Amino acid sequence: MALTKQNKKRVPLVGPALALVAVLAAPAMAAQPDGETIIRNNCLACHSETGDKAAPFSRISEQRKTPEGWRMTINRMQALRGAKISPEDKRALIQYLADNQGLAPTEAEPYRYLLEQDTNRVEEGIDEGLGQMCARCHSGARFSLQRRSEDEWKRLVDFHMGQFPTIEFHSLARDRAWYDIAKNETAVELGKNFPLITPQWNSWKTAPKADLTGRWRVLGFVPGKGQFDAWMNAAKSESGYQLQLEGQYADGSKLSGSGNARVYTGYEWRAALTIDGVKMRQVMAADAKGGEMAGRMFPAAERAIGGELRAVRDQGEAEVIAVMPSLLRQGESAELTILGQHLEGDVSLGEGIEIEKVLERDDDSIRVLARATGSEGARSPSVGSASLEGGLSVYQTLARVEVVPANALTRIGGNGGEMEKVRAVYRAVGYSAGADGKAGTEDDLRLGYMPATWSIKPADEVAAHDKDEDFAGSIDAHGIFTPGDAGPNPARKMSANNVGRLTVIASVNDGDAQVRGEGSMLVSVPDFVRRVLD
Amino acid sequence: MKHLKSLNKKAHLINQAVSPEDVEDVVAMQTVVGCTATTDPGWELDPFGGLGSLCQPMESDLYGCADACWWPAQVPDTMNSYPDWGEGVAKADKDWRKLDGIFEDGE
Repeated sequence: MALTKQNKKRVPLVGPALALVAVLAAPAMAAQPDGETIIRNNCLACHSETGDKAAPFSRISEQRKTPEGWRMTINRMQALRGAKISPEDKRALIQYLADNQGLAPTEAEPYRYLLEQDTNRVEEGIDEGLGQMCARCHSGARFSLQRRSEDEWKRLVDFHMGQFPTIEFHSLARDRAWYDIAKNETAVELGKNFPLITPQWNSWKTAPKADLTGRWRVLGFVPGKGQFDAWMNAAKSESGYQLQLEGQYADGSKLSGSGNARVYTGYEWRAALTIDGVKMRQVMAADAKGGEMAGRMFPAAERAIGGELRAVRDQGEAEVIAVMPSLLRQGESAELTILGQHLEGDVSLGEGIEIEKVLERDDDSIRVLARATGSEGARSPSVGSASLEGGLSVYQTLARVEVVPANALTRIGGNGGEMEKVRAVYRAVGYSAGADGKAGTEDDLRLGYMPATWSIKPADEVAAHDKDEDFAGSIDAHGIFTPGDAGPNPARKMSANNVGRLTVIASVNDGDAQVRGEGSMLVSVPDFVRRVLD
Repeated sequence: MKHLKSLNKKAHLINQAVSPEDVEDVVAMQTVVGCTATTDPGWELDPFGGLGSLCQPMESDLYGCADACWWPAQVPDTMNSYPDWGEGVAKADKDWRKLDGIFEDGE
């Protein structure tokens, strides 16, 4: 069972009555003041009015952020600066700031993984200087999801200096003129790379925003439960949308839930739903026309254990959205489900694929028994006039298995302590070799997710010597890795914690053979400071 | 360094890091989002991408580091931001179960 109902203690930001569901379910106050008034009422003890209409408030007006970024800022003002703001005003202020000083879709796009809390990855392409200065403690996405004037980036350097006075003594700081470099080089570079004013934002801010009301065909994955398909109804409410979700997992069991969504900046979908008794969060981005959304869903109490989520709006037209599973082995018969909406007309899975039997057929789902006799390669399944390009792959031999995430981090916890364990979920993706017959080359054909048997082994000689595989945790049949217990362990050398470096192995059946893929797992100590964005 | 011989594993690892550039290469390759590796030692990883040079168990010298604001993104810094963190838990290696996190991610 992957979903948990654990309730985590939190720093009371505005008082103990701040229950999440109540926050998102409460209708907006009838006489809700506008954003600028909320700032005047709550923030001017420290911030000042500039008299400049284009940038009316000191510091606040010189930044743009995601809804999570603004939430994190206000949380910090409450936790460290003594700011007092009602839950209603806070919600309205985050909405106002994200709508008026947010990020354009193209600005947020490269870093969506952090908004989605999908952090088991090694970031690529972070500028070396920014890596040494910023990304050695934070994710690269954390600062890349902010836009500030150069002066404002400089003030952020001063904030770090004042808040963390020993920062100059850290490695990569004490051995150079850290403050000078941070203020006169790094901040300038940040101002160039992530400036306050951009053509993208100027264009997005004035662009018409889509109404996301309607029926959404939803596909997703819940760790421990599997793939699901559902319908989600979004009806307008005062602060966003009221949601109803009904669907089924691949094994036929039902899922059902309801909740609320807010949309920030015209495209940032944030929903809180209770699905089968578990509080879940959806973080998605809507496309410009409001026809599709994509992102991730995860339990509110355990953001590391989530799965991808996709929603396609019912606009009255036939659409094939996915085939599950998305692969078929040559010469074998297998059950496949075509998922979509308004599925009417002849069914085809592509060249050389014989549909032996239609097992079940509906307007939004067609289950068939199919057999591939044709050549290896991608197919475009179709129903009537609707088709899905490359939606199904035929393969002869499973050439390699990729374990995702390739790099993951879990954290010890539990054992009677206050800190929960941070788990990770793994999936196996199969590939065939492609036309060149060689695995691991560019033309490899991605087949899709495949069922796997999971195991762990020590990552290297040191890990083997320290018996990390015995202490650091275990992986279950669903690919969910649970790290070891917190606390010093007298059974280990020097009473070390149950940390370790492991290799996670997926074994996938391919006829009579087995193909293995490996991922890297670091089992680490708790993160005692959890912020909206790491 | 060439006249010094490393006696223990940690010293050996330090010897292996020929230049700071090499250390940074290792860090860049190994660090998962949200990890601090470079603060020598890092919180999750050492500069060599391993665990060998970390303080272990972490409870044994936790305040020695938290007080000095060493990993403020992962451990509440008691110097400035959260002076009361760890109050009532004088010996972290004995009373670690009472150590709570700072959850600044509330709605």
